[in-house]
Amino acid sequence: MKITINRDNFSSGLQQVLNLVPTKPQMPILGNVLIVTEDDGIALTTTNLDLGIRCRIKAEVSEPGQITLPVRRLANIVRELPHSEVSFETDDDHQAKLRSGGSSFKVMGIGEEEFPALSTLESEQTVVLPQLELADMLRSVSYAQSADESRFILNGVYFKLSDQKLTVVATDGRRLAVHSKEIEQGGEKEGSFILPAKTVAELLRQLNRDDNITITFTERQAAFEIGVGKESGGLLGNVYMVSKIVEGSYPNYQQVIPKETHQRIKLERELLLQCIHRAALVTSEKSNTVKMEISPNHLEISARSAEFGEAHESIAIQYDGPKIAAAFNPVFLMDPLKALPQDDVFFEIKDDLSPGVFKTLDDFLCVVMPLRLN
Amino acid sequence: MTKSSVQATSSPSSRKIIHIDMDCFYAAIECRDDPSVAHLPVGVGGESGRGVLTTCNYRAREFGCHSAMPVFKARQLCPQIILKPVRFEAYRAEARKIRAIFARYTKLIEPLSLDEAFLDVTGHPEFAWKIARQIRQAIREETGLTASAGIAPNKMLAKIASDWRKPDGQFAVLPKDIATFMKDLPVRKLWGIGPKSAALLEEQGVRTCGDLQEWPIPRLIGFFGQKWGNTLHELARGKDERPVEIHRPRKSLSTEMTLPKNLETLEECEALLPELLETLEEDMTRMIERKPFRKIFLKLKFADFRTTTCERPATNLDRSAFAELLREAFGRHAEAVRLVGLGVRFPEAVEVPNKQLVFPFFDR
Repeated sequence: MKITINRDNFSSGLQQVLNLVPTKPQMPILGNVLIVTEDDGIALTTTNLDLGIRCRIKAEVSEPGQITLPVRRLANIVRELPHSEVSFETDDDHQAKLRSGGSSFKVMGIGEEEFPALSTLESEQTVVLPQLELADMLRSVSYAQSADESRFILNGVYFKLSDQKLTVVATDGRRLAVHSKEIEQGGEKEGSFILPAKTVAELLRQLNRDDNITITFTERQAAFEIGVGKESGGLLGNVYMVSKIVEGSYPNYQQVIPKETHQRIKLERELLLQCIHRAALVTSEKSNTVKMEISPNHLEISARSAEFGEAHESIAIQYDGPKIAAAFNPVFLMDPLKALPQDDVFFEIKDDLSPGVFKTLDDFLCVVMPLRLN
Repeated sequence: MTKSSVQATSSPSSRKIIHIDMDCFYAAIECRDDPSVAHLPVGVGGESGRGVLTTCNYRAREFGCHSAMPVFKARQLCPQIILKPVRFEAYRAEARKIRAIFARYTKLIEPLSLDEAFLDVTGHPEFAWKIARQIRQAIREETGLTASAGIAPNKMLAKIASDWRKPDGQFAVLPKDIATFMKDLPVRKLWGIGPKSAALLEEQGVRTCGDLQEWPIPRLIGFFGQKWGNTLHELARGKDERPVEIHRPRKSLSTEMTLPKNLETLEECEALLPELLETLEEDMTRMIERKPFRKIFLKLKFADFRTTTCERPATNLDRSAFAELLREAFGRHAEAVRLVGLGVRFPEAVEVPNKQLVFPFFDR
């Protein structure tokens, strides 16, 4: 193969696919990027067997071909090349020669036949939506995923398609975040899958362009075609990701969402976040608790620990119901507040042993279980 | 911030405390499980180790046998005594059943060992006398064992009272009777007064708590030291404000021996180690839940009443390690030794964090 390619395009293409490659891959081939020539450019593919990603970048192809090369090493070299035009050619011994200005590199590769192919999903289960909307949805729930590997079902975000709506859900058993959105294209479909946490993180990294994303899923895998938009930096068409999904059935999360609203207060999101953050400064590992106490026109957020002392924060609210207090892990309160874009949030509370619920005017809610004070 | 012990919120003077003491607990279980020996003198223990009775039934007590008595001596007093091996697992199982019975009446239960506990029933509407009777009846019906109970406004009096109508009886010290009750109570019955202190007091002409009440505080402090002197002033008047504590995390477990004659040499002290070690091991077996310890320690009290303690990290009871501690402690003062003690220290109880509640699906 023989191509000429812009250094910065090549570099940004490699950055797209680099992230999921482990620094110490279990097989040498998994540390490599598959480079395949196409009509108007090259396709770059990496995989860790759970998750694979492919992007296309513009290049002048004078001789078609393919090769795999160590992706991290290659990315370092390409980024440092002295001239913006790079000529790239391979020989039969799986070696690549790069020339740019006065630099010339020879990089040892591995035959492309060893590279595990990414699957293309044949499925009716397809939904299309603007990728920035999906990014918002994922950001508003992904912090609630469980990191406890013994609860592998919860180590991901649950995607559910039904009633013209896409719903994303995450929970670690102590808090639950749910966000739904009406879907125009493909909303009539029904189905669900659990996307592993690592794929969610990679997806969030990719979803930053003003273009659509197409989601396709089967019983074993989910694929994402992420449009690259207009300002593409040499990227062509779309970025393709295919991921295994978490096998098993997601818990019936709806049962933990309180059916009734007892007391609701409206709060400025930023202000509430700052107050909880400050109060939490006196908490310790042993007493990682903030108390939320609402009384007529007043919300008090307080925290104390034997080691450090006490904190009290006051916020004026519109409220004329009974006095209610409950204690929460401050992180569980701050996470949704950090992730949401809205200026205002609603907080619902019933008593000290019932969950607190954040809501927004969108179809979002976050249920947080309290701490029982000893 | 959170204190791991929960205390009665009522004012001390109005408390209702019950002390439940099982009658010859281990021996009673052995007799219940082997009715063929129930009417005979039965001792528990003595099979292994240095051969002392852990306990014995009332039939054997009639012959003068008692707990901690060497087996050979028990056999001299009562040649027909039947010895049963110790079965701590069986005793623990019964202790758990009995605690479940207590829990029907109060949450404030302070177990002292497998066979006795303090209950604070101040919050219960029923008379403490009636509660004690119901508890003893439930114990009899559900385990086939008998218990004695003491009822009083504080722990010290309740414990003394449970001994008053033993076995299978109960006795109450009412607040109005405390003064009379204390007047004639031998000082030996007070919490913390052992045979040696009792003998010392006897030399001073003190036999009853009434006698001790005559002593002004400075004299008590002069005799017993600051802390203990003040405490005794209260105890001798039947006052004891210690709350019934439900989780009293045990920080250490130890055993000690006050010697009949002060010991002058290291070798004499060393010769005591096997017996002390065996007692310590036995005491550890009796804990309702065995837990690992992290340190061992050795304490010496010298003829001039100075006390020294040596300790080191350890996770098992190794005699040579105690011997090394003894050498170190012994070298600290050039005085004869009047008391040797051994013990283990348990890890500090961690502060209990607030409990994070979880969704119901997460529990399953």
